[in-house]
Amino acid sequence: MRDLGLTVYTKIFAAVNEHLNSEISARYALNLARACGAKLYICFIAEKGMSRLSFERAEDAIKRLFIKAEEMDIQVESIIETGEPVKEIHKIVRHEGIDIVFASTRREDIERRFYAGTIARSLSLALPCSVALVRVVHMGRIHPRNILVPIKAKIDHIKERAYFTAKMAESFGSKVFVFHATKPITKFFHGEIHLTPVEWEKRLPKDTSIFMEYLRKYQIEFEGRVLPGTTARSITIEAASKRHDLIIMGASERSLLSSIFKGNPVEELLRETPCDLIVLKPRHEDK
Amino acid sequence: MKINSLTVKEVFHSLVTLEEGLTEDEAKRRLKEFGYNEIEEVKKKPLTFRFLGQFTHFLAVLLWIAALLSFLSEYLHPGEGMLTLGFAITAVVFINAIFTFIQEYRAEKALEEMKRLLPFYVKVIREGKEREIYAKEVVPGDVILLSEGDKVSADTRLIESNDIRVNNAPLTGESEPVTRVIEPFTGEIINSPNIAFAGTTVVSGSGKGVVFATGMRTEFGRIAHLTGTVTSGLSPLQKEIIKITRVIAAIATIMGVIFFATGHFIGRTFWENFLFAVGIIVANVPEGLLPTVTLSLAMGSQRMAKRMALIKTLTSVETLGSVSVICTDKTGTLTQNKMAVKRIAYIGEGIKTEGQGPSLLTVALLCNNTKEVEGNLKGEPTEVALYRAALESIGHVESRRIKEFPFDSDRKRMSTINSINGSIYAMTKGAPENIFTICSHCLRDGEILYFDEALRDKSVSLYYSMMDEGLRVLAFAYREVKSGEDIKSKEDVERDMVFLGLVGLEDPPRPEVPEAIKKCREAGIKIIMITGDGSRTALAIAREIGLVKGNSSIVEGSDFLRMSDDELRMVLSKEEVIFSRMTPKHKLRVVNILKEEGERVAVTGDGVNDAPALKRADIGIAMGIMGTDVAKEAADIILLDDNFATIVNAIEEGRAVYENIRKFISYIFSSNIPEIVPYLTYVLLRIPLPLTIMQILAVDLGTDMFPALALGAEKPSPAVMKIPPRSPKERLLNFPLLTRAYLFLGPIEAVAGLFGYFYVLNKGGWQWGEMLASNNILYLQATTACLTAIIVTQIANVFACRSFKESVFRLGIFTNRLIFAGIAFEILLQLFIVYHPFGNKIFSTHPISVEIWLILIPFALLLFSAEELRKLIVRRVWKKSLP
Repeated sequence: MRDLGLTVYTKIFAAVNEHLNSEISARYALNLARACGAKLYICFIAEKGMSRLSFERAEDAIKRLFIKAEEMDIQVESIIETGEPVKEIHKIVRHEGIDIVFASTRREDIERRFYAGTIARSLSLALPCSVALVRVVHMGRIHPRNILVPIKAKIDHIKERAYFTAKMAESFGSKVFVFHATKPITKFFHGEIHLTPVEWEKRLPKDTSIFMEYLRKYQIEFEGRVLPGTTARSITIEAASKRHDLIIMGASERSLLSSIFKGNPVEELLRETPCDLIVLKPRHEDK
Repeated sequence: MKINSLTVKEVFHSLVTLEEGLTEDEAKRRLKEFGYNEIEEVKKKPLTFRFLGQFTHFLAVLLWIAALLSFLSEYLHPGEGMLTLGFAITAVVFINAIFTFIQEYRAEKALEEMKRLLPFYVKVIREGKEREIYAKEVVPGDVILLSEGDKVSADTRLIESNDIRVNNAPLTGESEPVTRVIEPFTGEIINSPNIAFAGTTVVSGSGKGVVFATGMRTEFGRIAHLTGTVTSGLSPLQKEIIKITRVIAAIATIMGVIFFATGHFIGRTFWENFLFAVGIIVANVPEGLLPTVTLSLAMGSQRMAKRMALIKTLTSVETLGSVSVICTDKTGTLTQNKMAVKRIAYIGEGIKTEGQGPSLLTVALLCNNTKEVEGNLKGEPTEVALYRAALESIGHVESRRIKEFPFDSDRKRMSTINSINGSIYAMTKGAPENIFTICSHCLRDGEILYFDEALRDKSVSLYYSMMDEGLRVLAFAYREVKSGEDIKSKEDVERDMVFLGLVGLEDPPRPEVPEAIKKCREAGIKIIMITGDGSRTALAIAREIGLVKGNSSIVEGSDFLRMSDDELRMVLSKEEVIFSRMTPKHKLRVVNILKEEGERVAVTGDGVNDAPALKRADIGIAMGIMGTDVAKEAADIILLDDNFATIVNAIEEGRAVYENIRKFISYIFSSNIPEIVPYLTYVLLRIPLPLTIMQILAVDLGTDMFPALALGAEKPSPAVMKIPPRSPKERLLNFPLLTRAYLFLGPIEAVAGLFGYFYVLNKGGWQWGEMLASNNILYLQATTACLTAIIVTQIANVFACRSFKESVFRLGIFTNRLIFAGIAFEILLQLFIVYHPFGNKIFSTHPISVEIWLILIPFALLLFSAEELRKLIVRRVWKKSLP
C-alpha cells in the first residue's frame, strides 16, 4: 500500500494502565504500528498512591504488549513513569515527537456528561499530536473484519483520517464501510421526501467523496452509504444490524453549549456502541 | 481473527484470564469497566417530553397564538367574549394533544420479555473455586460452568465440552438443539459451534467456557439493541395528518391576514378586524379531526379483532391499508403446520421393502423422539407425522434405545442405536443429501446392493421429484452394529449405512390461502415467501397456492449471504420472489432494503430474533399461537389464528379505514365553508355576526363528531381490493376532495345558513345596516337559525359523504345503521343547544320555532340531490374514460 506522501505515523504511543481495556486499546496501536512501520511506545504513568497490585497489573500488561510487539517485529519501547498522567504523557509526546497517542476511555468516563474532566478528554484537548480514544466493549472481535466509518458532511484533516482508517484496515485486512447519516429531506407541505439509496448516493457530501477517493488510492476495499436519520442512532443501528466489528469516527467539534442543546453524537455513541469504537482527533494538517 | 478461531490457550491469553478464572478483585475491576451483564433499555425521549411534544407542533403553536391573542383581546377589550374563545381554543389544543398522544403512545415491553430469557444466577470459577454469582455480575474473562437445563448468561467461548448441546432458538429460530465443541472455527462468531450464546439453553451435556461479551454486547444484546432502537418511522396516516394540518394552517393564516387587511381598508376598527381574523382561523381549523380519526381507528381495530387480527398500535389499522409488500413465513402461516406423510418411495419397485434389518417404517418409528401421552402423540410435527404413519402401518416394535445422536443443523440428521430382538442397529434419518453421503449400500426390492453411482443418481432424482411435489423429504438408513464396535462418536456410527428409502411429508396449505393470495394479486400487493425449506419444496408449495406463476426468483440462504445490497435490491424488484433455506435473522435486511426502495412492508415473525424486523417493518405481524412473547411485544399486530388469510382481511379493513377517513374528512371540511362565509358577510356586508365562535366549536367538536364516526364505520366496498396500493405520493387531502367540500357541498350549506339567519332577522323586522346587541333575542334566534341550517344540511351531507362516486341508493340507505345513531345524536345535541337554557347560555342561542326547521329542510334535500347528480355525472364520465 502506498502512503501517497501525505500523512505518515512514525511514532505511535499507547497509554496503558491497570485496566484491561487499556491493554486492548494498545493492541489497536500495535497493529497500526505494524501497518505504518512505526515505532511503538508503550507507556504507563503510575499515579501517586497507586496500589502495588494495580502497579503490577499495568506492568504485566506492558510486558505482554512488549512481547507481542517483538513477535510482530515492531520497534518498541516501554516507558514507566510516575506522576500526573496527562502532564507526563504531554512531556513524552513533545520530547519524542509522537505522531499519535492511543488511550482508552473508561466506563466511568462516559458516564460523565461530555466526559468532562476525564483523562481521556484532557489528553484529547491537551496533546499536540493526534489522539485516538478507544472504547473497548467487545473482546471477541480481536481483528475487526468490518470497520464502520461514519463521516460528517464537512470534515477537516481528511487526509489523516483516510490514512488512519486505511492503515487500520490494512493491518487487520478489513473492509471499510463509509457511512454518512444525514438529515431527512423535508418540504413544508409534503413533509419528509423519500429517496432511494441510489438517489441518496447522488447527494454524497463532497468531503465524504474525497475521503472515499483516498481510500481508493490506498487500495482499501470499501463501500459507501448515505442514509437519513439521527447521527448517533443511525450509526449504532447500522453497526448492530450489519455486525460491524469496529467504528472509527472523528472527535466531536461541538461546543459544550451546542452539545447541551443539540446533543453530542460522539458522546451518545460512546455510551451505546455495540462494538469497539475509536474516536480520532487528528492534528496533522492537510498539505 | 475472532475469539472462535483461537485455540483454548490463545483464548485465555486474549481475554487475559486463566483456567482458574479471574480473581475477585479483577472481576470487580472488569465489572466497573464493562458494566453489568444485563439487557438495558436504550435511552429514549422521556414520556413527559413525548406528551409535551403534542403541544409544540405546528398546529398547536398556531392555536396557542390564537388563544393568547384572544386572552390579550379580552384584557384590552373586555366583554367581547374573547375569554371564552381563549379557553375554547386552549381546550382544543389539550383535546388534540391527548388524542394524538393516546394514538402514538405504545408501551415498550419487548425488552422486558427478552430480559426473562436470561438467567438469574450462574456458576463461575473464580480464584480456582466454583461459586454461584448473580448472572448480571458476570464479566468478560469469567470462566463459567454450564450443565443441562442452564440458561447461558453471556456469550461464551467453550473450552470444555461433554457432549454439550444447546437450543439456539432465541437467536436462530431453529428449535433443534445443536452440539457445541471446543475446536477453533474460522467462520463468523454467530455460526461458530464453539460458542454458547447468551439467552440460549443447555439441553444436554455439560461444559465450561470463557465469557467474551456481556450485556448489550452479546448477540442477544444485539437483538435487544436493534429491537429497542429500530423504528418504522411515522405511519403514512401520521404523515398525512401533519401535511393536512400544515395545509389548513396555511389556508387559515392566509385567509385571516387577507381579511384582516380587507377589514382595515374598508374602515373597520382594529379590534373588529382582529376578532374577525381569529374567527376565520378558528372556523378553518377542523378541531374535531384528530379525535375523530383516533376513534375511527379504534373502531377499525375492533372490527379487525373480530377477524382474528389483534391491533396493538392504532395507526397500524390504516398503515395496513397502504401495505405494498408482505414478507411471510411459510410453515404455519401459508400452511397448516399439520405435517402428514404423503408418500414413501423406494429405489426398486417397492415389491419387497424389507431386508434382513429393520424396515424404513421401523427406523421412522424408533429413530424418533415422539412420546405417547394419554393417547396423544407429543413431539416435533415432522417426527409426530412419521411416528403416526409408522404406527398405523406396523404397530409398536419392541426395542431398547441404547444411544442417541440428536439432530443438528450442521449434520442435518439424527441417529439412534437400538437393540431389536438381540441385534443392535444404528438407525439414521435426515436430509437426503446428508444421508446419501454416509451410505455405502442400499436396499432394493429386499436385496442389499452396493450404492453405486447409478443407484445414487436414481435416489437423487427420486428425491427431486418428491420435492417438486411440494413435499418435505427425509431419507432413512441403518446398519447393524457388531458387538464390541466403538459407538462413542457419531462419526463412528454414521458410516457405511444401508439406504432404505425416502419419505415425503406434506404440510398442506391452509384452504383460505389461495383465495387470499388471489386477492393480494388483484390488490397489487407483492408477497415474498421466506422459508427454511429447500428451494424445490418452497417453489412447489408456492405454485400450489398460486404465489408464483411465471419465472420466479428463488434465493437460497447461502446466496443471500453472499449478495451485496444492490444485488439483493435487483432481486427484490422482481415480481415473484422466494427466499429458501433462510433463518429469521435475515429478515431485517430484506425489510430494510424494501423500505429503502419506498415500499410499505408488512412482515410476519414468531421468534425472538424476528423482533428487530417486526419493529422495522411498517407493520410487524406476530403469530398468536406459535409466536414468542418477545415477537408479540415487538409486533404491531398479532394474528390470533396464525393465518395468512387474516393478514389479507386486515389489509382489506385497513384500506376501508383509509377510504372512510377520506369520507369523514369530506364531511368535516364541508362544514368549514358555512362557518367561514358568515364571517365574510359580517365584515363585507356590515351585518351582525351570523355565527359565533362558540357555535362553530359546537359544530366542529359536537354535532359533527358522531356522524363522522359513523362514516368511519362504513364497510369495505368490494372494489377496495381491486385497486393497487395507494401511491405514497397520493394525498389524503387532495384537490378533488377539497374542491368537493369547499366549492360544492360547503357553499350549499353556507347558503342555507345565511338563508336561515336572514329569514329570522327579516321576520323580526330587522332593517339592513341595523346593528344588534349580542344579547338581543332576535339576534340570538337568527344565529341559532344559521347554526340549525348547518346541522340540517350536515344531516344530508353525511349520506352524501358515504361514497365518492357510488349512489347512496345503490349502497343501501340502511346498510350503515350507525349513521342513524350519529344523526340522532346530532339532532339531540342541537335540540339541547337550541332549547335548553344551559345550552342557550353556553352557545349564545335562543329557542326557534318549528317553522324555521321546516324551511331549512329543502336545503338538505337540495344538497343531497345535487350530490347524487354529481356522482351520476362522475360515474358516466369515469365509465367513458375507461378503455
